[in-house]
Amino acid sequence: MAEKVTIEEVAEAMYKMVKDTMGMKKWKAMDLQKAAIELFGEDRCDKNLCKEAIKELVNSGRLVYTYFGGSYLEIPHKEGAAND
Amino acid sequence: MAEQMKKYETPLLDELEKGPWPSFVKEIKTAADWNPMANDLLGLLERSYRDKIGHWKHGGIVGVMGYGGGVIGRYTDLPDEFPNVSHFHTMRVNQPAGWFYTSEALRTLADIWDRHGSGLTNFHGSTGDIIFLGTRTEELEATFSELTQAGFDLGGSGSDIRTPSCCCGMARCEWACYDTMKLTYFLTQHYQDEIHRPALPYKFKIKCSGCPNDCVASIARADFSVIGTWRDEIQIDQEMVREYAKNGVDIVKEVVALCPGRCIDWDGETLKIDDSSCRHCMHCINVLPKALAPGKDRGAVILLGSKAPIVEGAILSSVIVPFVKLDDEDSFNDIVELIDAILEPWVEEGKNRERVGEFIQRVGLGNYLEAIGLDPQPEMIRHPRTNPYVFYENYLEEE
Amino acid sequence: MAETAQKRITDIGPPHYEKFLPPIIKENYGKWKYHEIPRPGVIVHISETGAKLYTVRAASPRLLSTAKIRKFAQLAEKYSDGYLRFTSRHNVEFLLTDPSKIDPLIQELESIGHPVGGTGNAISSMVHTQGWIHCHSAATDASGIVKAVMDELIDYFKTMKLPAKIRLALACCLNMCGAVHCSDIAILGIHTRPPKINYDLLPKVCEIPNVVASCPTAAIRPSTYDGKPSVEIEEEKCMYCANCYTVCPALPLNNAQTDGISIWVGGKVSNARTEPMFSKLAVPYLPNNPPRWPEVVQTVKKIVEVWAANAHKHERVGEWIERIGWPKFFKLTGIEFTKQHIDDFKHAGLTYKTSVHLTY
Repeated sequence: MAEKVTIEEVAEAMYKMVKDTMGMKKWKAMDLQKAAIELFGEDRCDKNLCKEAIKELVNSGRLVYTYFGGSYLEIPHKEGAAND
Repeated sequence: MAEQMKKYETPLLDELEKGPWPSFVKEIKTAADWNPMANDLLGLLERSYRDKIGHWKHGGIVGVMGYGGGVIGRYTDLPDEFPNVSHFHTMRVNQPAGWFYTSEALRTLADIWDRHGSGLTNFHGSTGDIIFLGTRTEELEATFSELTQAGFDLGGSGSDIRTPSCCCGMARCEWACYDTMKLTYFLTQHYQDEIHRPALPYKFKIKCSGCPNDCVASIARADFSVIGTWRDEIQIDQEMVREYAKNGVDIVKEVVALCPGRCIDWDGETLKIDDSSCRHCMHCINVLPKALAPGKDRGAVILLGSKAPIVEGAILSSVIVPFVKLDDEDSFNDIVELIDAILEPWVEEGKNRERVGEFIQRVGLGNYLEAIGLDPQPEMIRHPRTNPYVFYENYLEEE
Repeated sequence: MAETAQKRITDIGPPHYEKFLPPIIKENYGKWKYHEIPRPGVIVHISETGAKLYTVRAASPRLLSTAKIRKFAQLAEKYSDGYLRFTSRHNVEFLLTDPSKIDPLIQELESIGHPVGGTGNAISSMVHTQGWIHCHSAATDASGIVKAVMDELIDYFKTMKLPAKIRLALACCLNMCGAVHCSDIAILGIHTRPPKINYDLLPKVCEIPNVVASCPTAAIRPSTYDGKPSVEIEEEKCMYCANCYTVCPALPLNNAQTDGISIWVGGKVSNARTEPMFSKLAVPYLPNNPPRWPEVVQTVKKIVEVWAANAHKHERVGEWIERIGWPKFFKLTGIEFTKQHIDDFKHAGLTYKTSVHLTY
């Protein structure tokens, strides 16, 4: 049986996915989960790990939730609508 | 906030201080007397009344640390003229079930908001939350901190489970067929993570009504509607029925003739109900509340999928569980299991902004029931299909 | 606004409701036997223990200053041992055990501008949305129209002389944060022109595939403008739903000249007698006419009055129209029937008349 990946590894992989596609693709939590499970394989990564990894990323401030007609996870940035 | 505040002329809004209905303009002016945000809101709103257009931009990124729900970002498009509403973010504060408060709790909330926001609120927003109306980005975390220390938390927004809400149920209604406040509190606590961290294709609302009168409009406004009902005989106090008749209620015209199940008879002495044809609509009980009451074998119907028109058209919730008992923790846990099962195929396959009701229409109720492990039942439909285009997954072997 | 460095608390949920229930409710929880409405705005619930709880219901504009919240708290302490609640239609309710305090409470509520009523066969407070006070997508204001309509209909709030309940609601755009799609009379803000593309902003704030996917009529296609990624809109396919604007702020539909209001009738959520039903289009377009929207007020008033004069007892607006038929509804109200009333969205054919059940 394959050894599970750690929350940190999943978080790192997710962060990279979001960073590498910034401005081109908006990720929903479910998209990140599907991509992570695809990357590591079902035997090494599961839903709960993904959920924890997202929580880790958001609690540490590396990703933030955003809302544009649906909720996404993004690298923190100044939004288009913001006033000073 | 000691600087001299600008005084706005508001001839159009002043018109809405007149008349007998309570005036929201008076409320804004009350806050504007001391609060610069409320003052600029007044000026900006007068501008909207003159321009016939709103002056807000949608923000999508502000929130409190770790949460993706509970804060709605807003910025005015006229920040130079109205700098104090340059940011005007809303916070959704999860209401206590049934919207009961003590004076002390209300004051606590008012104090917190006076320290951090516009001094303006909604009691309540459309989904049921207490709305703190308007503050700056840097005040969000501080407000949240004070709220949680006072025992309050934020509600949902975005693609998450939204703040569940309910009628006052057994607290003040004889028709409550289950404990709506208890179930709502239970589900709210169980789904804290799902309320605060959006992981769904779109919003998912839960509303619990105690009887088929549906005072929280769950059949129209909730993806997951729990509506109380009963399955034994309506309780009748014949003496009281005669009392109503004596006092001028026309039992035949007002009760018998309006019964959708046509199952009530009245001979001037005795009211007879054929409960096997009763549709549990509540009308007779509504008209004769002192004489009639729901039966004793009480529970709820669970319906799924309602929503407003955006985007594929409005949908009413439809039956998925014709009757369920809801009188202990085990039955509440069964509801959680059902919700989890309902969410799974939708979360996996649903498109962005596709509500569960739309998803079901796309994949077909039959297929969806199979996916969540419920058997098809005739209570779930108005009538069987009228077209012959039936799918057969397992083709019969030809003889 | 100094910050303490206390440990961050999250995911505690709302306070438990039991903390806010008056003793009489705790003692009689689940034991209520029946209720009566001795006068408009006052409900008495009688428990099987014999206990009596008096509720006094007052109107509220939903938008409340913290000063007003403190005033409500003070009234609750003076008259109802510090306990109160709000209803799903934004009314405030004081929960009294001493019936001798009802009259003075009502007097005080009326004196601060909060009329008492909204019970039984009345018009209760209107469920509504934020409008120009807070919403980026509002096609009209919300609070202002509600105020103007309720000023005119206040008598129906304070009395119980209507044939049945009548539920009014307002949503300032098609997103319908209020449940207007199942109301006896719904006021709905609408756009009537396709979005105007902000070509500079679009590539910065919008993700093109999302924008394209958001359109329910497939009117939006990817394109380039001035060498930058953009979209083009097939305007004759646009039904002004603004779903694209929700996912892409560079496609605004708000328009001071052409935004307006539509009126819908005959919806209900209660299961009483007839099944819940959607509201149907009565008036496709009325102008935005702040500050008091006279066209909207007069149209709503007319519908209420025609219904009140013609409906049978217990008949909600939708039930009344089902009985008399839509031709008679248009005739009695004097509302013009137009091409726009005929459905042309999905399953429109189901709304055509397929019988000769007609009245003349």
